[in-house]
Amino acid sequence: MTSIDITNLTKEYGGRRAARAVDGLTFRVEPGRVTGFLGPNGAGKSTTMRLVLGLDRPTSGTATIGGRPYATLDEPLRTVGALLDAQAAHPARTGRDHLRFLAASNGLPARRVDEVLEETGLTSAARRRIRGYSLGMRQRLGIAAALLGDPEVLMLDEPANGLDPEGIVWIRELLRRLAGEGRAVLVSSHLMNETATFADHLVVLGRGRLLADVPMREFIDAHSHPRVRVRTGDPIRLRATLLARGWTVGETADRDGRWTVEGASAEEIGAVTAREGIPVFELADERASLEQAYLALTSDAAEFTALTPQEV
Amino acid sequence: MSALSPAAVLHSEWIKIRSIRSSFGSLLAVVVAALGIALAVFPAIGQPEAETGEMDPLFWIYYPVNFVQIAAISFGATAASSEFLNGALRNSLMAVPRRNLLYGAKAVVVGSAALVMGVVAGFVMFFTANAFLGKYAIGIGDPGALRSCFGAGLYLALITLFSMGLTFLLRSAVAVLSILVPFILIVSFVIGGVSEGAATWLPDRAGQQILFQEPLGTLGAWTGLGVTALWTAAALLAGWWATRRRDA
Repeated sequence: MTSIDITNLTKEYGGRRAARAVDGLTFRVEPGRVTGFLGPNGAGKSTTMRLVLGLDRPTSGTATIGGRPYATLDEPLRTVGALLDAQAAHPARTGRDHLRFLAASNGLPARRVDEVLEETGLTSAARRRIRGYSLGMRQRLGIAAALLGDPEVLMLDEPANGLDPEGIVWIRELLRRLAGEGRAVLVSSHLMNETATFADHLVVLGRGRLLADVPMREFIDAHSHPRVRVRTGDPIRLRATLLARGWTVGETADRDGRWTVEGASAEEIGAVTAREGIPVFELADERASLEQAYLALTSDAAEFTALTPQEV
Repeated sequence: MSALSPAAVLHSEWIKIRSIRSSFGSLLAVVVAALGIALAVFPAIGQPEAETGEMDPLFWIYYPVNFVQIAAISFGATAASSEFLNGALRNSLMAVPRRNLLYGAKAVVVGSAALVMGVVAGFVMFFTANAFLGKYAIGIGDPGALRSCFGAGLYLALITLFSMGLTFLLRSAVAVLSILVPFILIVSFVIGGVSEGAATWLPDRAGQQILFQEPLGTLGAWTGLGVTALWTAAALLAGWWATRRRDA
């Protein structure tokens, strides 16, 4: 069981007016679960991944895999599979040659190349030049490269980028399976609803700093406000009754005739409407989505939202 | 082969060169240009030029080197620059995070490939030219002949690695080609005409002494090649220094 350990990691770019892309970051990516890596553009997600892989040098702090810096691993591709930038493959090579040189460098058998091509659905395109690949095919090739060494740790930067709906379902199932096999899986994304479908745990960055490192369920609960949706036969009485008891009720119903009550639970509203004899057709707690929880977290730090640097 | 053994990384570097048309094409062009230029030049002006006696008879045979070395330069440059297109170096470093091993293996593969093709080109130029030189032909057993055939290979390999080192430093084949090609075709030629003294020490001029029957100036055949080797070592060191230090 191998994990990624990041300790006090800091990376500054530029000389005197140094900007901190990553600022004193500490967290661990545990095996056996998918860790969603969230944060706005420029929050330091990609920089963190590059530092883990030894592509950039940290200003201070360490990033290790199973206790060792990436550059000292004996079998890098068998230990970590990473997808950083699907555009980074040389366009003049065929997909197969791209995987062949990677496999050869780590002494992986050529059979693995055909296996990962098959697994990512690229077999028929393998002998074509990468220049002619669609964004989704390049993404699949990047994932194929990450899987090449059957690694214990996977680190994928926006893996669903450019994939079609079937591809998105495929990557979701792949990530779940890899974590289920006991691997440590770190997946960055800025698509919250997508991340919610595969992540068990979340690490959230803002301006290079750690904002949260919690199980996804806990994160959503902590950053969402209770809210109830109710459909009734007597909206006028419902509103009047609830407002009189101090709840906030939306001005209008939604398209399907549901009213939103903020700060309430279904139990509370159910009890009140029963007591008052208001007919209720539908009553449900509304769980916040990951997106809402994430936006709640980031707007809590209003200063942070305003100052988030835009990625260029 | 175990993971990250030098043999595995050398194999990987060879696949990289084979799988990119511009790199592999430039490598093949070393021999193709040697044959093509020799066939274009010697049947027509091989003997008349030799007759003037102005040029070292052996060096005249290697006239195609002026063009062949451009293929060598572009082989060195494209083999290196393929790592900088779209950040491809990141893929290479993920597979081989030991930068010294990666850089060393590339230099060995590029240098060896250029040496083999360079020696073949050397013999091709020698025998092709001689086939058309009539009474001015030089035998392979004549003084300096064998030395020059192998020397041409060594010179082309050194020029290739010089170009590779510079490309790692500047991270662009276009930059390196637009410096080296005009330099070799024009600057070196012009300076050579003006002052023989300083020009002797230029990377191309010095190394080409190995192609003369009687080397010009102060440098001998092998010391001249040694001077080129020093230029190459400097370029390779600069490229290595840049690769070691920079964020990929």
